[in-house]
Amino acid sequence: MPVYRARDSPLHAARAGATTALCAALAFTCAVYSHPLVLLTVILVVVGVGVAARVGAEMARAARLSVPLALLVTLINPLLYAEGNTLLVRGGSFLGRRFDITLEALAAGALAGLRVAGFMMVFGLFSACVDPDDLLRLFRRVSYRSALTASLATRLVPVLARDAMRMGDAARCRPQPPGRLAVARATLSGALERAVDVAAALEVRGYSTAGRPRAARAPWSRHDLRVGVAAALVGAATLTGAVAGVGNVAEYPSFAVALGPAEVALAAALLLGAGLPFAGRAARLGVAHA
Amino acid sequence: MPDVLASAQELSYAYPARSRPALTGVSLEIHPGSFTVLAGISGSGKSTLLRALCGLVPHFYGGEVAGELEVGGMSVRDHGPGELAAVCGTVFQDPETQVVMGGVRAELALAVEHRGDAPAAVARAVEEVALALGVAHLLDRRTDTLSGGELQRVAVAAALVHRPTLLLLDEPTSQLDPVAGDELMWLLRRLNEEWGTAVVIADHRLDRCLPAADRVLALRDGAVACDAEPAGFLEWAQGGPLSPPVARLFSLAGLGPLPTTVKDARERLRGAGLAPKPATAAAEAGDVSTARRWGVRRSGPPPAAEARGLWHEIEEGPTALRGLDLRIAPGEKVALMGRNGAGKSTLLRHFKGLAEPTRGRVETAGEVALLLQNPGDYLVHDHAREEAGESALPSAGLAGRGEANPHDLSGGERQRLALEVVLAGGPCALVCLDEPTRGMDTASKSALVDRIAVLAADGAGVIVATHDTEFAAVFADRIVLMGPGVVIADGTPAEVLAGGWHFSTDVARVLGGAEGALTPEAGAAVLARELVT
Repeated sequence: MPVYRARDSPLHAARAGATTALCAALAFTCAVYSHPLVLLTVILVVVGVGVAARVGAEMARAARLSVPLALLVTLINPLLYAEGNTLLVRGGSFLGRRFDITLEALAAGALAGLRVAGFMMVFGLFSACVDPDDLLRLFRRVSYRSALTASLATRLVPVLARDAMRMGDAARCRPQPPGRLAVARATLSGALERAVDVAAALEVRGYSTAGRPRAARAPWSRHDLRVGVAAALVGAATLTGAVAGVGNVAEYPSFAVALGPAEVALAAALLLGAGLPFAGRAARLGVAHA
Repeated sequence: MPDVLASAQELSYAYPARSRPALTGVSLEIHPGSFTVLAGISGSGKSTLLRALCGLVPHFYGGEVAGELEVGGMSVRDHGPGELAAVCGTVFQDPETQVVMGGVRAELALAVEHRGDAPAAVARAVEEVALALGVAHLLDRRTDTLSGGELQRVAVAAALVHRPTLLLLDEPTSQLDPVAGDELMWLLRRLNEEWGTAVVIADHRLDRCLPAADRVLALRDGAVACDAEPAGFLEWAQGGPLSPPVARLFSLAGLGPLPTTVKDARERLRGAGLAPKPATAAAEAGDVSTARRWGVRRSGPPPAAEARGLWHEIEEGPTALRGLDLRIAPGEKVALMGRNGAGKSTLLRHFKGLAEPTRGRVETAGEVALLLQNPGDYLVHDHAREEAGESALPSAGLAGRGEANPHDLSGGERQRLALEVVLAGGPCALVCLDEPTRGMDTASKSALVDRIAVLAADGAGVIVATHDTEFAAVFADRIVLMGPGVVIADGTPAEVLAGGWHFSTDVARVLGGAEGALTPEAGAAVLARELVT
């Protein structure tokens, strides 16, 4: 998955809470709708926003991860569900169960795959644009120790992955490579040793006597406001559409997708809402003249 | 400010389930603004003493304590590391495991946030410490993008952000290259001199620490064996494994008093009218390298290993090797030197077959053994005898210790055991070692030199990637100096190291490279001739 890198963009300049809210609103849209136009719009929005936020490479990486998973979901669904009126392939019987493939199950699988891809792309945008330290600072006042544990996990997972890779190389250098169990045990014990070292480092920095951190009150910047408003617009459009019954999809027994002005309006609202942080002169960073 | 920052009275300590105490009857006082170096071979109790001073012993590690230890007026028995953190900052060996947060700014803020400071006070503390320690340019960087040296500087800054009066460091330079290590020492010296922070540091590279120190505590088997100023310590350590090269040079030459720095040594020699004629080897080194690469080495015996026009281009990264040619003869002992990123480790991986050349080829005359930088990665069993077989233990200096858990061995012992693990397959044409002396004490280095000599005598070519010029001068009969992906000098140790500036030994610096003397023994012989004439 993409990792956070500081960039000059409105999403990076906004406080972690605002950018997280925008990503959460987009994820909420994916959760509420299974309409292909809406899901494709969310993916398009995420890619567009990512490119505008200068994390295009990270978005490409997220896409490389999400496309195979989406295809897998698309292909598995018709194997599990045989409902639907349009038979594409008549499969045989196995253990008393028929394995027919229907067009409806394939289409439903494609929508489920699209939704998975949407979630993953949104998570990719979130990972690339939200500083985990800032995010953890938000949660620290709620549950300090849990937030710090999450921070440690974020920091140490790549370190442990590098450790495991090194141990793999070391195993290749042995004339008689050790069994997998022995290597797994050694890797685990190495991870525990690292954990003990980290715990010691935290101890000597006053972790055991730490109190609840004091609240920081930073003024809202224009980027905070614009990203926050964008999150609210996306959330509001999603909710309004859901309440109004926009984006209906019937999967079985016949596949039917509602496509009218309401769906197009919802897609447009999502595009405009999420694009707000990048619109106009105010989206530029450092507009003041020296 | 109190007169004494820390005081120990007859402090003894044993780790849980260990019969042998790690500290025995230690009595000492640490004064404000002092710079104390803890000296001692591996396992002498340096790390344990530092852990006791910061409260990790006994509160974190458990075990049995006797005697008294007070830090900042707090008894270590009653106050844990969290409370002692108000008085002392602590920095450990491995920079990777002491940096907790994803960003440098958040990392520096952590300790003051733990203390419950207001956000404005946190921000000020972070800015101040970052500017004072020269890490302000790193504040907006992610910690996973920092080099080892940068990470260690951030760790020092994080330990100092709440302005402790005592800074404890446990081999902070052992994982760093020499340049980063020297930079860190300069930083500590500045901290001590300009801000009066008391420093207690344990390090095997005493030559690097002594110039800054005003006191040396030498530990042996957990007890204080010497507590003196640097000059007094050098007299005490004469002829022993803790004596730094420059002091050993004077000691062997029968000169005194023993110097603590290269500059000091040079001035004393000048004062005594002993100014050996400097070498001109540096100017000749370039010619020697060309001759070796294309002439002499090509016409020699069949090689143990050879790289021809070797290129290694990393995907979306730099080019690690650029058409490199290198030929290693059987029985040859080669030190591969160069700055970080020059391609040393990549070349060794090619010899072992762990990397695929982008272009060019690598040929070896038989099996290749490769020991990578972390010996612990090779040790996957519960007992030393299971790793390399009972018969290999004497070669690793572990005769009779087959039941020992490899993780309980000292760094040097682990390194030697790991070497036996990779050699367990039988005779090798080439043995490659990658930075084997990192964090090693002098005794372990000597044992490694002996083992390398045995391997070479058995006909194996030995190539060692190292930053340690003193070690290279002792074991190698050829030095290959790498620039970015290419060989930039290739010759005997005297040819390459005697006239070098960065790649040189302390003895060569003192003697100006005279007669190619690199080691204290060779230097003493040069001085003896000067004394006679």
